[in-house]
Amino acid sequence: MTDPIVLLQIFWTGAATSSILVLLTVAFSLTQKVTGLWNFAQAGFMGIAFYAMFYVLNDLQMPLLVALAAGAVCAASASVLTEVFGLDVLRARKSGSLMFFIFTLILAQFIIYVLTLLFGTEPQTLYKSIMSPVRIIGGIAISNWDLQAVTTAVVMVTLLFLFLKATKEGQFLVAVSDNAKLAELYGISAKRTYRVTAAIAGLFICAAMYLSGTRGGVTPNSPFELVLAATIATLLGGMGRVFAGALAAVVLALIQSFSVLVISSRWQNLLLYGFLFVTITLFPRGITLARLKFKAAASPPVSVGKPADVTQAS
Amino acid sequence: MHTKRMPTLNRRRFLQSAAAAGLAVPLVGSRAWAQSKDPLKIGVTMPLTGSQAGYGNDFVIGMRQALKDLNDAGGIAGRPLELIVLDTQAEPSLGINAMNRLINVDKAPVILTAWSAVVKAQAPTANREKVLLLNTGANAPEIAHLGEFVYTLFPLADVDISALAKYTYDKLGKRKAAVLYINNDTGIDAAKVYKDVFEKTGGQVVAYEAYDPRATEFSGMLLKVRAASPDMVHVHGLLTDVPMVIAQMRQLGLQQRVSSYSAGYNQKLIDQLGPAAEDFIVTSLAPGADDNPNVPQFLERWKKEQNRHPNGLPYIQYQYDSVQTTAQLFKHVLEKKQEPTGETMRAALLAIKEFDSPLTGKTVVDGHRVRKPVFLLSVEKGQFKPLAKLD
Repeated sequence: MTDPIVLLQIFWTGAATSSILVLLTVAFSLTQKVTGLWNFAQAGFMGIAFYAMFYVLNDLQMPLLVALAAGAVCAASASVLTEVFGLDVLRARKSGSLMFFIFTLILAQFIIYVLTLLFGTEPQTLYKSIMSPVRIIGGIAISNWDLQAVTTAVVMVTLLFLFLKATKEGQFLVAVSDNAKLAELYGISAKRTYRVTAAIAGLFICAAMYLSGTRGGVTPNSPFELVLAATIATLLGGMGRVFAGALAAVVLALIQSFSVLVISSRWQNLLLYGFLFVTITLFPRGITLARLKFKAAASPPVSVGKPADVTQAS
Repeated sequence: MHTKRMPTLNRRRFLQSAAAAGLAVPLVGSRAWAQSKDPLKIGVTMPLTGSQAGYGNDFVIGMRQALKDLNDAGGIAGRPLELIVLDTQAEPSLGINAMNRLINVDKAPVILTAWSAVVKAQAPTANREKVLLLNTGANAPEIAHLGEFVYTLFPLADVDISALAKYTYDKLGKRKAAVLYINNDTGIDAAKVYKDVFEKTGGQVVAYEAYDPRATEFSGMLLKVRAASPDMVHVHGLLTDVPMVIAQMRQLGLQQRVSSYSAGYNQKLIDQLGPAAEDFIVTSLAPGADDNPNVPQFLERWKKEQNRHPNGLPYIQYQYDSVQTTAQLFKHVLEKKQEPTGETMRAALLAIKEFDSPLTGKTVVDGHRVRKPVFLLSVEKGQFKPLAKLD
């Protein structure tokens, strides 16, 4: 098992698989950064994105592009509508952070129940076949799915980076995430910024669910596992550090993959919970190394561990 | 000493008594009639929601078909049968809750159940409350040792997995096997049976790996397998994970023949894997359409009613037969003019012992196990084809 080819294969497959988690972590972390909320309703949006694509591809028999558009529109709409009719209302009422937490959790569960009623609980894949053509490069098996996953993650994260750095709207997001009240004094609408963030999160979620649904079966309950992993990566990367969170997602996936060299495969998922425990107790603001490396990428001054109520009140 | 004076029977009192008796007779009669028509209750605990609901709901459909056939034929001694179905989500805690309700509220003397973890969790209640618990689909070998009120109508893993391991060594000529299994009650016990039998037969298990039931990424584990160079891979998991394991195997260049058990006997697996499913071996503990003329009829009826294939046909054959078997127990008890209770139903099971099951053939209850032939199937050109019948 110490054969370099084996190690490289584990590295490549782990990195490719981490793409799903990277996209979900970016969605989760960006939302947390801008709104200050741990939005667990994203588990529900994941389900909406997947089943919208599944319905369009399998029931309506329409092309992939239409399915992707449907998934993106549905997930982004659900995310924005939640912002408008749920979170905004709670902010107006000056609800406490616990209320936000409960609201997002209940909404996720509600959506999952609805999806269960509509689509059943059997695992579904977007395509009938889950096989992906493979090429061997330097002794390493690289599937089309791997390439698609890595490319999708890299392109989307880069686009987000450019969006935050180079567009006015992106700068608004950064400003609101830094200090929503101050941003409003400068004429930036926090509400509008929250909605833009929700829509971006919906797009990332849709991309992740496309990758997930072309690799294996998805059930209405599957997203809860994913949102938990995204939470851990967000914590590891440090709250408010979106790109560090994305890197943490890759590291988490690689640690899980390489762990089989020293522990039984059955413990792999347990590692996630171990990381959650260690992070919360020892690194509540994320791992410093990650922050140092990605300070430049996450260009704005970051409000680490900003309490939810600060932005909720705005 | 004061004694109470007996009332004298005068004409008025006689007429009053006669009138009362006249009114009472039809009431008593109607109650007795009603009792004779009371349904015979069969409790059923299955996963109707959750990840295993695809199987659980189809199990119940199979049972309801048997129920309809029995009731259409007049029931048992003129009494209809009734299924009381509760959801377990394949979760032990919910299985116990469902069982308690069936015992305490519905007063069901017999409960049909499945999923190894659920059966194990329900067993202490069955033994304590003296209610007959019949396993209709779980296969953990431990089920044979769960107590005096827990029996199985479904062959446990040591039947088909033992036969498969022997066949792999003797007939397929494989000498080095890798065993991958889902880390739950279904996988742990069965994988151990495969390993023990394969090694006892003379083979070597070169990789023995468990994976988390929620895992979707198996590359690391499969690379371990690749390093061990087995010539056969046995995957003991569920329909949610087995196709992913095989897909990732093939993508990593592992071309070994793969076997699994009856959970893999599902067209969906072939659809998901395409050519990568070729030569995949599964066990089936029920005869196929070529072996039993009742099976094609059943399948045709199913397709007509449900407009689709059943999930795991062999399992569903057992569900149909389990209701038929339970009906025979009720018949035996009622013929003996006994009240159907867990104890009388258990006594009936042990007294009858051999059952003619319409869809799975003769069932012999051998202590806390059943004896059945094992059918092996292999995927050829995108379809499951019979490979061998092992008695």
